[in-house]
Amino acid sequence: MADPLKAITDSLGGRRDLLGWTAVQRQLHGEQLFADRNHVEVRRSVETDNIAIDVLCASDTDPSMCGAARVMLNVGQEAAPAIEFAVRAAQRTRNPIYQLPGPAVLPDVPTVDPQIVADPAAAVTGLHERLMRSTASPADARLTLAEWFVEHEQSHLVNSRGVDARQAHTRLSLEWIVLAGQGEGRVDTTFDLDRRRLADLDVEGEWDRVARQTADRERAGPAPSYVGPVVLRGSAVETFLNSGTIGTLTSGKSRFARISPWEPGMSVFRGEVLGDPLTMWATRLIPYGDHAGAFDEEGLPGQRTLLIDKNIFQTYCASARYATYLSVPATGASADLEVPPGATPQAELLTGPHVEVVAWSWFSPQPTTGDFASEIRLGYVVDGADRRPFNGGLLVGNVLDALANVRWSSETGFYGSYLGPTTARFASLKITPSRDA
Amino acid sequence: MIDLRPELGAAVAKLEQRSPYAAVLLSSREGISIEVEQQEEKISQLPLSAGIVVTCQANGILMERSLPGFEAGRLEQAVRALHQELPAAQNRTPAADGDVAVRDFATSGKLPAGDLRLEDKLERCRDIQRRLAKIDPRVVNARVGYVEQSEASVFRSRSQDLAQEVVRLRLFVMAILSQDGQVRYDWLGKGGTGGWELLDYTDEELQTIVEGAARMFSAERIEPGEHTVVTGPGVSGVLAHESFGHGVETDLFPKERARAFDYLGRKVGSPLVDIVDDPSLDGGYASYFFDDEGMLSEPTTIVDKGIFRSGISDWLSARTLKLKRTANGRRQDYTRKPYARMSNTYFGPGATSVEDLFAQVERGVYLNRWVNGMEDPQGWGIQVTCHYGREILRGKLTDRVFSPVSLSGYVPQVLDTIRAVGPLVLMDQGTCGKGHKEYVPNSAGGPHLLLQVKLG
Repeated sequence: MADPLKAITDSLGGRRDLLGWTAVQRQLHGEQLFADRNHVEVRRSVETDNIAIDVLCASDTDPSMCGAARVMLNVGQEAAPAIEFAVRAAQRTRNPIYQLPGPAVLPDVPTVDPQIVADPAAAVTGLHERLMRSTASPADARLTLAEWFVEHEQSHLVNSRGVDARQAHTRLSLEWIVLAGQGEGRVDTTFDLDRRRLADLDVEGEWDRVARQTADRERAGPAPSYVGPVVLRGSAVETFLNSGTIGTLTSGKSRFARISPWEPGMSVFRGEVLGDPLTMWATRLIPYGDHAGAFDEEGLPGQRTLLIDKNIFQTYCASARYATYLSVPATGASADLEVPPGATPQAELLTGPHVEVVAWSWFSPQPTTGDFASEIRLGYVVDGADRRPFNGGLLVGNVLDALANVRWSSETGFYGSYLGPTTARFASLKITPSRDA
Repeated sequence: MIDLRPELGAAVAKLEQRSPYAAVLLSSREGISIEVEQQEEKISQLPLSAGIVVTCQANGILMERSLPGFEAGRLEQAVRALHQELPAAQNRTPAADGDVAVRDFATSGKLPAGDLRLEDKLERCRDIQRRLAKIDPRVVNARVGYVEQSEASVFRSRSQDLAQEVVRLRLFVMAILSQDGQVRYDWLGKGGTGGWELLDYTDEELQTIVEGAARMFSAERIEPGEHTVVTGPGVSGVLAHESFGHGVETDLFPKERARAFDYLGRKVGSPLVDIVDDPSLDGGYASYFFDDEGMLSEPTTIVDKGIFRSGISDWLSARTLKLKRTANGRRQDYTRKPYARMSNTYFGPGATSVEDLFAQVERGVYLNRWVNGMEDPQGWGIQVTCHYGREILRGKLTDRVFSPVSLSGYVPQVLDTIRAVGPLVLMDQGTCGKGHKEYVPNSAGGPHLLLQVKLG
């Protein structure tokens, strides 16, 4: 059978009206399983196979400008009309000229779980059976829904500057719904998680944790009116950091669109920094990280980029396009976040009265200001050994102000799209009660 | 796709030799986007998703194969694989030709997207961008985003042979202003199933976007607590969507995930509350003629005068619970399973003019620009995050603005506080997930509502 990508790149390479082009073929095989508490309801097997083509042409009204357009082809679809459409679309737009990435040494970052590649159907069955064994033990909470998605994707990128690279990813995603209580007092927890390999999912440990938290929600009281230390741990730290504000303010695309006011060399904080200094990398080099990869969708090598160094903004996360426009290094458009270990043991951060927020309804600060007022799904008022669960209040504050007065734990952990301290203790955040008990 | 349609009946018949139920869906989702900004323009094809879904049932399990493209060989491959997995002998008689309902549908509009050249669409976007950019010197970027989604599907079961083509259009406009090193923005969106006549922006509308962004420079944090609130149509829609939209998706019912299941036929809000889901809404952004499981579209009254009347269902949950099947079995695309999902969900109209509704407010907040909402079908909590709220004083809007504003509360309490409902229903357009995945085009709306809720 003819290689469809080769036919397309030959066709693109033969054209004189293109300033550049990129073609990426992605082939995916996935297995999906959907179950209620007692039995499997649906099993699905999925394949996808498509090719994305990006072309760069001189603008038809101004040769000093360029235009870009993207088309996608399904397997078996004729390429020529799609390429013609892409060229015509690109010629109509007007943008500053930029250059696509050229060949470079690609990092060797692990992204594939051989167990998933060998037999994705067995992997999904095995995960579900482990969960079923865990839920068979007596607990104060019960599983009511489990969804599993296991995928193996292979991609092959070729561009006009000579990049010809392949990479593969595996991914497992889950969603569990866990219930506690009966009748009007019934509560639930939705738990979802993405990882690249089976070894990074502790099914039994996660079940214990989610079941315990769901049982705590059943006995949770109303949120207190509170101003004081707030602790986040594990996936809550990941949610806080990846909630949009830092991503927007450090994005080269946002800077070019004049949405981000951040400039290299400026402090990321508007006031005095009272907590640990903030240092942060955007990285595609965390083994099995959500965004880990040898190259990104433009063909740029995976990198580890220092975004913020001791409170000072260093550089934008920028694709080749926006790096050219902003005259900054091309780092790639998206990545996982890495924060260095703090100086304080976690045990010390958990000492003294505080509130711990475990989950929000949806933590969604304003992207440019960082202001937030987000409903808490589960929190605890902690005083010594006493941990009183609550839900329903609003956590109110500002992402950047909070990060200006935080202490990070010396222990670190990996949470899919975040590698860094397991615990953050914010000196002072506000909780307002919002729901009647 | 159309070449494969005649083959589908035989595929269903073969599977029903061994399965009590079989169906084939051919599904194609494609489209284009145009982005025009101050310094940049882009045209892209939307991510293409086109393929075959073969469904059958065996031993209580629904089994599906999803394969890319519409080649006959792939259909045969999927049918053969499933047939081998099925237990032998159900021996259903294939449907006779006369028993199959064959219907074809397509959306239309006064100015269909297909009648405009790509260049015309780009130029229309540029025109809006230019008009927006020159309104105020603080506008550092004016952003116009156009999305044209074409969905084609063929559904074949033993009794149905349905085809539809649905074109959804959306045009989103955003003004980004800078002042003293600070950046603020506001936006407006329009869209529907129809033509470009839905996407016109008047100069007055563009002016309100810039004024909204400019007011944000002086925004304050709101004093947390209970407030008298007037919601605009978009925020009213999110309230409907998050309260008795997600909460009545019947695939949640057998899993005890929705408190609403215990409230069928019971009071859940003020008698002024009517909530409807209608995939057949003329021109609605989330409209379709039949769902991804072959159910023909018609409206469902979910809440009638404050009483919960009906959920919205997919095939599996309606069958399991012996509930009325509604046309709400929707897939993100051919690679995903169907769930019970909303389409166009809205509060029904009332009798109070908007002027009279505002006149009832001595001091309150007007919420008309939502960012996101989150459902809690089990706990009946609700959170709606708004970009900003405007102060109402003695029935009039002032220039005082609060941002961001989160509305939260217990659904029946929130709905019970509604004491006036405006007369005109307007719809917003967007995308809705089930939790944080399974995204489908969606629309929500309503009239202005007057209610008492907690803000923070």
